[in-house]
Amino acid sequence: MHIAEGFLPVPHAVGWTLAAAPFVVHGARRVVVEVRERPEATLLLGAAGAFTFVLSAVKLPSFTGSSSHPTGTGAGAVLFRPPVMALLGTIVLLFQALLLAHGGLTTLGANAFAFAVVGPWAGYGAYRLTRALGGGLLPGVFAAMAVADLATYVTTAGQLALALPDAETGVPGALVKFLSVFALTQVPLAVGEGLLGVLLFRALTTNARPELERLGLLRPEPAR
Amino acid sequence: MTGLAVDDAAWASAWRRRSPADKLLLCGGLVVCALALPAWPGSVLVGLTAVVLALGPARVPARTLGRAVRWPLAFILAGALTSAVTVGTGGLGWAPDAAARAGSLTAHALAGSAAVLLLACTTPVSDLLPALRALRVPAAVVEVAGVTYRMLFVLLASLRAIREAQTARMGHSTWRRSYRSSGALAAAVLTRSWDRARRMQEGLAGRGMETGLRVLPEVLPSSRAFLAASAAGLAAIVAVGVAG
Repeated sequence: MHIAEGFLPVPHAVGWTLAAAPFVVHGARRVVVEVRERPEATLLLGAAGAFTFVLSAVKLPSFTGSSSHPTGTGAGAVLFRPPVMALLGTIVLLFQALLLAHGGLTTLGANAFAFAVVGPWAGYGAYRLTRALGGGLLPGVFAAMAVADLATYVTTAGQLALALPDAETGVPGALVKFLSVFALTQVPLAVGEGLLGVLLFRALTTNARPELERLGLLRPEPAR
Repeated sequence: MTGLAVDDAAWASAWRRRSPADKLLLCGGLVVCALALPAWPGSVLVGLTAVVLALGPARVPARTLGRAVRWPLAFILAGALTSAVTVGTGGLGWAPDAAARAGSLTAHALAGSAAVLLLACTTPVSDLLPALRALRVPAAVVEVAGVTYRMLFVLLASLRAIREAQTARMGHSTWRRSYRSSGALAAAVLTRSWDRARRMQEGLAGRGMETGLRVLPEVLPSSRAFLAASAAGLAAIVAVGVAG
């Protein structure tokens, strides 16, 4: 769920761009340093961005009978960490606006704040908390993907409520309205995305264990 | 054919050989007008201009434009309708200025979306990425964006092929199977992306990749006539929009 082009007034579009900018610039600096030290990281980061874009093209059967598309930022935050996801998420949003007409250019800042900053950080926080409480990789991934999706949706609803306050009850009333309308699709999608994350990482644990160990998500298996 | 209709339209557009900077100026101007001018007549004029230019001189297929606008349209209609409803002590009701509020929001958003689509359907992303360097975006970031753009089509092709094979094997016949297949699909696409990146890295390392992924940019010269017509058209839209 991205805010469409032209939906936000100019001050809001500028304000959200300024809010997202430090996170995206921080992510860009991390990427610049990484690429300077390891030039081959360009390809791996590009692959990670392409995977995040393509993950949004995976159709999930929805509880409401139709199909939905995951955001994928929770998985990205667990695999590549939130600072890098701030940049990769913004690149993916730019491509979604230009290749799928999903989102927009003046709303890129607002969408980046929700999708590439709040979502990954909230998802990564849920992942770390679950692991710290003794949960395994799969419960952690479920929490990361579901919370990232929900946090993105709640932030977007908040952005819309601030831009379009209710005529009688102001911003709180508008927040209730937008949360209620988009909850129909987003809450089932958050659960669905969490399930997809579990299935994805279960498959990766079997087929790509060395990569997960290299990323620090799994401890190396003791030599037999 | 790349598999993404908007990208296909951009490569086939009659404006493909025009300078990306010229098109950015025109479409950026239209986006700003859509946002800043009053909905009537400003946004309506912007929307009509973008659609006429896309279907006329830029020769974007009407079907592509119509299909592309479905995503934003669903969001715009849901959002505009929600903003027109008010939550009060007596329950739900229409806001006092419901029609004007929803109409204005829809007009601004549709006009802005049409202007972005005009850019997207006439300019491949690979033509726009060098413009990011002019905006002082670090070369490493532009290179990552370039690799993302080039790799996503390969991954989309993999995604479609695997999903087709899963469907043929009844992998999406029930809700439970569909979830299991989607998880396996995402894992297969991720491991393929890693594998492809690793192989590209080995290939480039063998060729001495020391200065980044530099490619020779295609020179698409600016047109004074196009720039003059864009400036005149935008000035006319602003004049009519402000006067109206």
